[in-house]
Amino acid sequence: VTPSEGARGGTGRQLEMESVLALRGLVLLRDSVEWEGRSLLKALIKKAALGGEQVHILGCEVSEEEFRAGFDSSINSRLVYYDFFRDPLNWAQTGEALPGGPLGALQAMCERTDPGPVTVALDSLSWLLLRLPCAALCQALCAMSRQHACRGGGPAAEQLCVLGLLHRELHGPGPMGALSSLAQTEVTLSGTAGQASAHILCRRPRQRPTLETLWFSVLPDLSLDLQGGPPLESQPHPDPHTPQVDPASHLTFNLHLSKREREAKDSLTLPFQFSSEKQQALLRPGPGPATSRIFYEPDVFDDLDPEDPDGDLDV
Amino acid sequence: MAAVATCGTGAGSTGSMVAAGSKNNVTSFQRRGPRASGSDSSYSRLVSIAGTRPSVRNGQLLVSTGLPALDQLLGGGLAVGTVLLIEEDKYNIYSSLLFKYFLAEGIINGHTLLVASAKEDPADILQELPAPLLDDNVKKDFDEDACNHKTAESNIKMKIAWRYQLLPKMEAGPVSSSRFGHYYDASKKMPQELIEASKWHGFFFPEKSSSTLNIEPCSLTHGYIKLLQFIQNTIYEEGFDGSNPQKKQKNILRIGIQNLGSPLWGDDICCTENGNSHSLTKFLYVLRGLLRTSLSACMITMPTHLIQNKAIISRVTNLSDTVVGLESFIGSERETNPLYKDYHGLIHIRQIPRLNNLIYDVSDVKDLAFKLKRKLFTIEGWRGRSFPNLKI
Repeated sequence: VTPSEGARGGTGRQLEMESVLALRGLVLLRDSVEWEGRSLLKALIKKAALGGEQVHILGCEVSEEEFRAGFDSSINSRLVYYDFFRDPLNWAQTGEALPGGPLGALQAMCERTDPGPVTVALDSLSWLLLRLPCAALCQALCAMSRQHACRGGGPAAEQLCVLGLLHRELHGPGPMGALSSLAQTEVTLSGTAGQASAHILCRRPRQRPTLETLWFSVLPDLSLDLQGGPPLESQPHPDPHTPQVDPASHLTFNLHLSKREREAKDSLTLPFQFSSEKQQALLRPGPGPATSRIFYEPDVFDDLDPEDPDGDLDV
Repeated sequence: MAAVATCGTGAGSTGSMVAAGSKNNVTSFQRRGPRASGSDSSYSRLVSIAGTRPSVRNGQLLVSTGLPALDQLLGGGLAVGTVLLIEEDKYNIYSSLLFKYFLAEGIINGHTLLVASAKEDPADILQELPAPLLDDNVKKDFDEDACNHKTAESNIKMKIAWRYQLLPKMEAGPVSSSRFGHYYDASKKMPQELIEASKWHGFFFPEKSSSTLNIEPCSLTHGYIKLLQFIQNTIYEEGFDGSNPQKKQKNILRIGIQNLGSPLWGDDICCTENGNSHSLTKFLYVLRGLLRTSLSACMITMPTHLIQNKAIISRVTNLSDTVVGLESFIGSERETNPLYKDYHGLIHIRQIPRLNNLIYDVSDVKDLAFKLKRKLFTIEGWRGRSFPNLKI
């Protein structure tokens, strides 16, 4: 990974990237028409291969030559490629196709790997999702990491990384939601003004999910170049710290008391608070209730029957 | 309910009750048959099962859900023979915590566990259970937490008009009576010896199914059929439905099913709108039948936020007895909203069953929020929809 600006800034960024991109488990690379993800996928494959991992690729959307373009020969010799582009339904009946279709290939991949860190790249997961039942695909993806763990080599969480390229526009919320709930990491590609960004959502078990944003670009030799932040000219005006929602702002009554009002409030005795003065007042037979009286003058429509003041007797 | 009736000591007690009735009675009414529990005179004759208690309202046998605050909201606990459905929060953090509390409560009380999952191995789930808080530490922790909360507000005098003093407070402290509900420390794991001493059956779907790649077009998904068979076999073999008269003490079977309805069970209701929409509802219907005729209680967590067809959610709610929805604030705009800053999410009690009752046992407080403190999961009535920090 080439540092972009000054050595120290670059390595700092590199370390940050290492920690964020320590991708294990199921990783969804969600791209769109404007921001394609295959180059990022290839960059991650190159990073894994240079790190000494075994790399298996299920190629369905582009031909093998096109996919291998850009990798240098040493890396190309390390990639194990399963081609489903040229003859997905195995009509040519050559003996080299794996039984069971793409799902069978996924299963075979796990059986053929040696214990140790493995990266499996699915190009693309969208292709699989459109042709296979979603539930079966989800089960197969989960089975992959389990099978790899069974074959030895530590807990599966650290050993197997499945990179799945997913095109956002192709799928409805159902399959996307189902895959998101299974994935350990979701990388959503977007960007502004020619600069690509990756929003990385990491779900660690039993911990709060973390969201990070990385601005990057993929160089022609398929290495990742990280920028510090969004390009300057397109940076939105830094939002003034959004004012905290003040619940007491738009009310029809006044919540804040002035000093005089506060004093009056503090000196008020509540009606059922039994203080000693009140007790004395009650015990002493004072003048009659001088507080309030109700005066009523019956008008012409009132028909008061002295024997039936409520008017509810049916007489 | 049948479950309650079988709790008596069998024919012996019935006979003695009839005899007692005929000795003292001045009426010609004779009691026949098993006597419904709940009335005081049969209290002492009930063989009490560890970890259960009769409801104070209708005598229904209850078990604790593992969260005393949730027990209080559900009217004392979860009734034996019913299903508690938890609608998962978006990232499945708090619902899996509730699931673990439920199982941990079963281990502490000595109940038999049946753990079913399609994602995690039940043995791994059991290793992750929280440790119970011991009595002498609980009070200390509560006082500590209470002190932290009060220091900010202690210097503001509040005169409470008399009406508000009568508002019921949600019980936040430990129940001092005999241990029906326990408190758990989510940061520590349950001691290994307790887990090993407990009896549990695990159902891990990927291992039980013959092949994960078969797509069977039958009405009940393959996974659900296998799970129902497993539950039925366990209930029958262990004698929870009274079929094999148990020589030993009767016990409760706690069934925990995780992520029901997710694609890992082979069900596609989370993926499409027009999928096999009857599989899950049939499963719940059959499950309820199994539970009603046995001494068991079931907790199911379901990712309802993923279900595409909303009609299924309402059907699922109707087929479950108690439904509680969790909504966490993580990732939503409410996380930064100061109105919600003290809490981690909201709890919605969507449904409470009417068991042998004409009325619902609904709590008075409707807006409920939860927070996961350092060690405790508390549920509080969120006072006031708009002005939680209002000081009068």
